[in-house]
Amino acid sequence: MTTLDTLLLFSLLTVLVSGLGVRLKMIGWVSAIMFAAQFVALLFMGGLGYGGSAIESSVSLTILNQPLSWRFDSLSWFFALITIGSALASSIFAAGIWAKKFHKHDGKPGLLQFAIALNVFTMLLLLASGDLLSLFVGWELVSWASLLLMVMAGGSSSQWGLRYIVYATAGAMAVLAGIGLIYHLTGSFSYADLANTAATFSSTNIVILSLLFIAGFGVKMGLLPFHLWQAGAYAEAPGPGSAFLGAISSRMGLYAMLVVVIQLIGLARLIAIEIPFSFLSLRDMLMWVAAFTIIFPTFTALRQNDARHLLAWHGIGQGGYMMMGILVLNPLGSAGGLLHVFNYASNQAALFLAISAVVYRTHTADLNRLGGLVTRMPLTFVVLLVGIIGLAGIPPMNGFVSKWLIYRSLIVEGMPLLFVATVIGTLGTILSVYKLIHNTFLGQLRLEHEHIREVPWSMLAPMLVLASVVFMTGFMPGLVLDWVVSAQAALGIPQLAHTLGGVESATGNLDMIWITLVLFGGFGVGALLFYSGNKAKRVHQLDNYAGGHFLTADDRYHYSNNFYAGLMHHIGSWYRGTFKWLESSIISIVSLLSGSTQRLFHSFHPALFLLIAATLSLYFFVG
Amino acid sequence: MNNIAFNVALPLLTAFLLPIISSGSKSATRFVGPFVLLAMLWFALAYFNVLQHPVAIALGGFLPPLGISFHLDNLSLLMAALIPLMMLLLWPYNNREGFREESLLLLLAGAASGLALSGDLFNIYVFYELLSVASFGLAAANRTAAAFAATFRYVIISGLGTVLALTGIALIYTQTGTLNLAHIGLLASQLNNPVGLSAFALIVIGIGVKAEIFPVNGWVPEVYSTASPRISALLAGLISKLAVLVIIRLLVVAYQGSQALTLLLVLGMLGIIWGELSAWHSKDLKRMFSFSSIGQLGMVLVAFSIPGDAGMAAGIAMMLHHLVVKPGMFLLTENWNGPIKKLKGAATSSPLAAFLFMLFALSMIGVPPLPGFWAKLLLVTGLVEANAPLYIIALVVLLTATVIEAHYLMSTALKIFSRGKKKHFKKLLQTPFNLTIATIFGAVLLAALFTLTPLGNKLNQIATESSDRSLYIKTTLSLKLPPQVKQQVSKVQ
Repeated sequence: MTTLDTLLLFSLLTVLVSGLGVRLKMIGWVSAIMFAAQFVALLFMGGLGYGGSAIESSVSLTILNQPLSWRFDSLSWFFALITIGSALASSIFAAGIWAKKFHKHDGKPGLLQFAIALNVFTMLLLLASGDLLSLFVGWELVSWASLLLMVMAGGSSSQWGLRYIVYATAGAMAVLAGIGLIYHLTGSFSYADLANTAATFSSTNIVILSLLFIAGFGVKMGLLPFHLWQAGAYAEAPGPGSAFLGAISSRMGLYAMLVVVIQLIGLARLIAIEIPFSFLSLRDMLMWVAAFTIIFPTFTALRQNDARHLLAWHGIGQGGYMMMGILVLNPLGSAGGLLHVFNYASNQAALFLAISAVVYRTHTADLNRLGGLVTRMPLTFVVLLVGIIGLAGIPPMNGFVSKWLIYRSLIVEGMPLLFVATVIGTLGTILSVYKLIHNTFLGQLRLEHEHIREVPWSMLAPMLVLASVVFMTGFMPGLVLDWVVSAQAALGIPQLAHTLGGVESATGNLDMIWITLVLFGGFGVGALLFYSGNKAKRVHQLDNYAGGHFLTADDRYHYSNNFYAGLMHHIGSWYRGTFKWLESSIISIVSLLSGSTQRLFHSFHPALFLLIAATLSLYFFVG
Repeated sequence: MNNIAFNVALPLLTAFLLPIISSGSKSATRFVGPFVLLAMLWFALAYFNVLQHPVAIALGGFLPPLGISFHLDNLSLLMAALIPLMMLLLWPYNNREGFREESLLLLLAGAASGLALSGDLFNIYVFYELLSVASFGLAAANRTAAAFAATFRYVIISGLGTVLALTGIALIYTQTGTLNLAHIGLLASQLNNPVGLSAFALIVIGIGVKAEIFPVNGWVPEVYSTASPRISALLAGLISKLAVLVIIRLLVVAYQGSQALTLLLVLGMLGIIWGELSAWHSKDLKRMFSFSSIGQLGMVLVAFSIPGDAGMAAGIAMMLHHLVVKPGMFLLTENWNGPIKKLKGAATSSPLAAFLFMLFALSMIGVPPLPGFWAKLLLVTGLVEANAPLYIIALVVLLTATVIEAHYLMSTALKIFSRGKKKHFKKLLQTPFNLTIATIFGAVLLAALFTLTPLGNKLNQIATESSDRSLYIKTTLSLKLPPQVKQQVSKVQ
């Protein structure tokens, strides 16, 4: 029994226990403890984070003469760490008092824990896959397990779930076709055979394979134009479920793409393929896809009036950064892409949990019905603040480091247009996260929120831990860069030279420890000036006047509706409309065809079909 | 060793005796049927155990090409065992009104066994006719006006189909002068001409009426949505597979040319497109399942059109999978019939049924690690290995159809699992009898999941054996044959 077996066993046990005890009251805490056990089991494999060699599972199967095997390398370990970490945080958040309220509102807290456990188990299976067949099995399991998490809230979420599963099945079928083609070319499903013979594939095959795989895996990443399902499906899940899904679920697509396209087929082949009638290579085209994936969903996020949807739309856009960084394929870019997986997961989990905490107290995530909560929920505010600074990629939080690496790599490689595209995306992020924090925590407190309190500790603790992770890994990014570099080594791509504080190489230097200290020094000076001045007087927000009038609770001076109206006017909604139009036209075509096939059955006598079929097939053979 | 003939004779005899028995004792009527089926199962399994290699049996000592011969190999014995097994599962145990349905079911069992075991086209034709008659009676068994109307449609198309098939058989006879399959196999070269291929086309389309082949399946949605769920389960699960079996046998012994395979491939593809699109459009559970059954049989046909062992393995796997899943699904439609919209809250009223629906649906979509996935994987690898443009198109069709399938099955599943009004719950309760049988099908599916490795090995063995043309011919020729046939054999060899 290897350490990998132990981990998978723990994970399976979590699924079984939470599944059997789905109705028990204590099941939340039991599951949380079991997630913690998984985390410890993962730490026992910690060598993988520092360049250890791959760990095999002792379980292997042979089905229909095809071997299936499982193993963990540094890349799998890195992703597994994020998976179990975000599951643990979500599980603790959902275990305590939150579960009671969820139960009161007809929710099933036990089912939520079970769904998270199932997702974690299937994700670990995917991350551990040792050949293309087990990769596909894991891939499909992950897809269907996340459906459970998405639709368990009922109501409108089931429509989103249906949309998701159609996209996911389409993606899986593309992947299956790709795997089938590889089987035809190499004669097996093994990674080694693919890696060894990929160099002999013809360019046509490489193009077909990369399009199939990137489209297939891209569906889960929400790559344009396959992104329409994601925001709603993630946002409508129960709070901690959204946090988990948002943090890691769509990264599984990135993982699979890394393994198949980067590690096995090799990006060099994609760079070598020129797209006819353009000056782009296949790789450049994909980078532009990534760029549009950054820009469009980010600006769509700006238009959302539901905090959960706003965050979920960012999930799509941030996925574009990761893909962009990895496709640059210099040590800076790929490290940036991988590091962003970790950073983004910590940001997103913290943000979703903070919003869930707000929903827990106020029963709404509508950005037009909140405001001024900073005085009532100060710690949640801090978590949200840390989270949005990270998400927007502003120092000193961790999101800055990964985005800096990606920007830097684009500049070093001489891709100024793409660099501008990423910066535009970041601009959109900053604008929309400001909308998020402004409409929820700043401004006027609504009368109905006058008496709410900070959320209890069982919910605060995971949020605060995540926030401190966001800060610490921004302060000392070297902690995570160690793991990232091991993952780079496992992928067989050039590795980044790094220090505890950041990067120190010929192509760029970054020392976050220094930057953070300077920043806090500045804050310190500001604070000194602030507190050494006159004593401030605290007043109630309604003990105030504007324009010569005393303000009452009826006066809404908190500007939240139609945020960024001017900007919205200029951007318009044409792009989002295009994709929706594309989707609905496909549905219309299917509907038209299916209507006519069914009508044909009804309108003619079956004997006529018999006659036609007989005549045609006789003609086929005789004629 | 000749007692496998009882599998045909015993049920037929009992079917005709049942009216007499029932005039004597009502309770005997209820027990004699299952007893006969158990005996059939026992005979088939007993053969299965001793069978080392395929055997041919000349019934009554009359030798081929004139006498009746049975061909026993793993595939035909598997079908011979599945017939009584499925009948036992779908037997009307709670029917207290006389003997009609029992009698027809036994007739069906006898005819089906004959069809599965027969080694010559004439007997296949006779058993096929018998099978048709029995299935007409069963389709109309619940005696509603709608069922009669649907059955009438079924009778007409099936009758025309039989005429076509008979014409095809006659054409084969004019070309080869024999109806014994092995003998036809020996003379296969004489069929590789327009007349011979036309004969194949006529038989495929004629027999295809039962195999739900596009476009002669117009009766399927009508009959399945009006007959009782058990009968739909039987027709969709078992009887369609027997018709497919006839086509495979012909294909293996005589039509290995690419033209015949192309015909099957094209018909199969059109069946997939037609069936899945229509299923997507249906607003009622029974019709949805009937159309999806057409689509699934299209996939089976596509699988068998892949040359060699790979196609045979994929086809048999798809066939067996459908044989387990579709009856299970049909059994759930008893009280879940009518508009799909009304299924809201069904999961609360029958959680087990909802779970079974989900299990069957997932396996049909091909979600790993359920058995349906491995069948689909065999099909996908087979299509890619066949490496011809038409097969690649078939692959695209198959994968697209899966997406459509996922959409309509999951939108139904989400209705079932959504919250409904309490007053409807009683209407959505499953009958315990059907639910038990459906649970057995579900358990079989799960058992298959946990024994995938041995099942896969067995499947490969069956596939290699049944796609081996010379083995089929040699088996029958191991009988003591008349001199003129031996002469032909020596000429060919």
